[in-house]
Amino acid sequence: MSAPTSPSSEAPDATLDLPTVEEELWSAPEDAESERFRPSRAGWFARGALWAVLAWFVLAFPVNFLSPFTLGVSDVSAASEAAIFAIVGLSLNVLLGYAGQISLGHQAFVGIGAFTSAYVVVNLDLAFWFAVAVASTLGLVQAAVLGAISLRLTGLYFALVTLAFGSFAQQTIFAIPKLTGGEGGKEAPRPALFDSDYRYYFLCLAFLAVVLFLDWRLTRSKAGRALMALRENPRVASSYGINVKAYTLIAFAVSGLFAGLAGALMAHHDEVIVAQKFGFNLALLFVLMTVVGGLRSRSGVVIGSAFFALLGSGHLLELLEPLTTNVFRFSLHDFLTGTIGLPIEFVALVVGPILLLLTITKYPGGIGQQIAPIREWMLGHRFDIHAGKVKEVEVDDVRA
Amino acid sequence: MSVLEIDDVSIHFGGVKALQHIALRVGEWEIVGIIGPNGAGKTTLFNCITGFYTPTSGTVRYRGKDISNLPVHARTALGLGRTFQNVGLVKNGTVLENLRTAQHLQVGYEPVSGILGAPSTFSEERRVTERAGQILELMNLEDIAHERVTDLPYGMQKRAEIAAVLATDPDVLLLDEPGSGMGPEEADELGDLLLTLRKDFALTIVMIDHHVPLVTRISDYVYCLNFGEVLAEGAPDAVRNHPEVVRAYLGEETV
Repeated sequence: MSAPTSPSSEAPDATLDLPTVEEELWSAPEDAESERFRPSRAGWFARGALWAVLAWFVLAFPVNFLSPFTLGVSDVSAASEAAIFAIVGLSLNVLLGYAGQISLGHQAFVGIGAFTSAYVVVNLDLAFWFAVAVASTLGLVQAAVLGAISLRLTGLYFALVTLAFGSFAQQTIFAIPKLTGGEGGKEAPRPALFDSDYRYYFLCLAFLAVVLFLDWRLTRSKAGRALMALRENPRVASSYGINVKAYTLIAFAVSGLFAGLAGALMAHHDEVIVAQKFGFNLALLFVLMTVVGGLRSRSGVVIGSAFFALLGSGHLLELLEPLTTNVFRFSLHDFLTGTIGLPIEFVALVVGPILLLLTITKYPGGIGQQIAPIREWMLGHRFDIHAGKVKEVEVDDVRA
Repeated sequence: MSVLEIDDVSIHFGGVKALQHIALRVGEWEIVGIIGPNGAGKTTLFNCITGFYTPTSGTVRYRGKDISNLPVHARTALGLGRTFQNVGLVKNGTVLENLRTAQHLQVGYEPVSGILGAPSTFSEERRVTERAGQILELMNLEDIAHERVTDLPYGMQKRAEIAAVLATDPDVLLLDEPGSGMGPEEADELGDLLLTLRKDFALTIVMIDHHVPLVTRISDYVYCLNFGEVLAEGAPDAVRNHPEVVRAYLGEETV
């Protein structure tokens, strides 16, 4: 039967939304496939081997366990930062990816979490765990307040409000010396058990695992489905009985919770947290890493965030240095910092936009799209080079 | 008692009087047809009933309760299920996902327990999938359960949309041009389907359609709208042959 396309005279919806891979959220539920592909024994072995390498890379390599390489303390510290950035990326993914709301003030969410946690530990002399809980809760509350504003403003106007919120927080809240310690920064000691950088790394990983779990359940439950529906078409969502406003607020709350948590971890990671850190640059970096990572793709966002964290701290270049100098007889590090004269902390802000451009124009699914074939294969599916390919979607407004 | 009672509803957009003093009654288990030329205000009336628009004046009552100021989702919760003129589905999702999403109000856990991954949510999710499967089977749509809505032909999308509305567990089905783009045979099938659904789900149906033969065949009562006013109402055949209705459709010069 031939298919006349649905009549749509209206202009496409102007929400801030990028077309991306949907596979992780809209994939068929567990028991859906009747004739399932089962990998052979060798197939399972190969998959297991790759999982083992991945586990080694995340769990053992940074802490010099079962590893031919020797990394310094600063390297494991950078790895912790990568894990923290991944939490921030997932936080932004909830807003940008699921709810379709942009935040250009996410550095303030994280910053407020950071200073809250430091304040609770230092000034109130309370336990680290309690401080993390307070920071997360405060993150949730302030995000929900901002969310309430988003119900009145949409798209670009809301983006401007978040931008203003970010600079406002920087100029006012982060300028209170009692809270932020002024120029010198605020102390944020770690609990005794996690004082070593190696242990702190595993603490960050554990929190990242919790966030990944919550995010997974979010997308596989009622709330996630509601968000998917309301992002694409609020009118259809509400006629399905979804309270669009309430669920938008839930998205903000979850995002704020993750951001507050990431902030607390960041404060105690740095041990002395300075207000200057939370400038607009950071907000931009957060958006870059999330979009380049691939909206709505958990694995993509985690990799993208870690990539930008390591790029920003210079560790990625250092890691690549042996490879580039030995194989290509070319030092990327010297090229960027010497020949071009680009300070290492700005590399991410130069590389980022280039990758962003590439993502928006050619690979809207970001890193998540690139790794989809391997991810699907590792999860026990048949290898398919086209897995995660972005499907063209015509989002036409329902005429209500 | 009427299920749906529209009392003196008017809505103005600036100077445009889209609806003027509309009165409409829908009884239990009735099928009520709404016909009228393009721009007569039929969809606007639906939007007033389902809550997308708030009438400038007048009231909308559901089983005697004034629902004029309730938001859309609350009216869905009361039992108003609605389809859209150009397919009200989440088009990025599969048919199955749409049916799962449409069961939003029947999902027996709070959003927070879902996010926290409480054990009961897993079994509840399975139940939601099962229920979606049942509805798909009933509508003969099992084969396309895993197809993305955009990839489906228009007629299938229309059918899937009815399935999704059924998943919201409605008492009243408000169908906005369910027969658009269908030939006479398909329209006939649609008519049979609606009659079956009314019986199986104990539904009251209000439908807008241009297929006058379809509307007259299955409706118990028909309203004809023109320029935002009720032009004629009554038994299907009476409305069909009403001189004003004939004139509205064919113009003044009719013989």
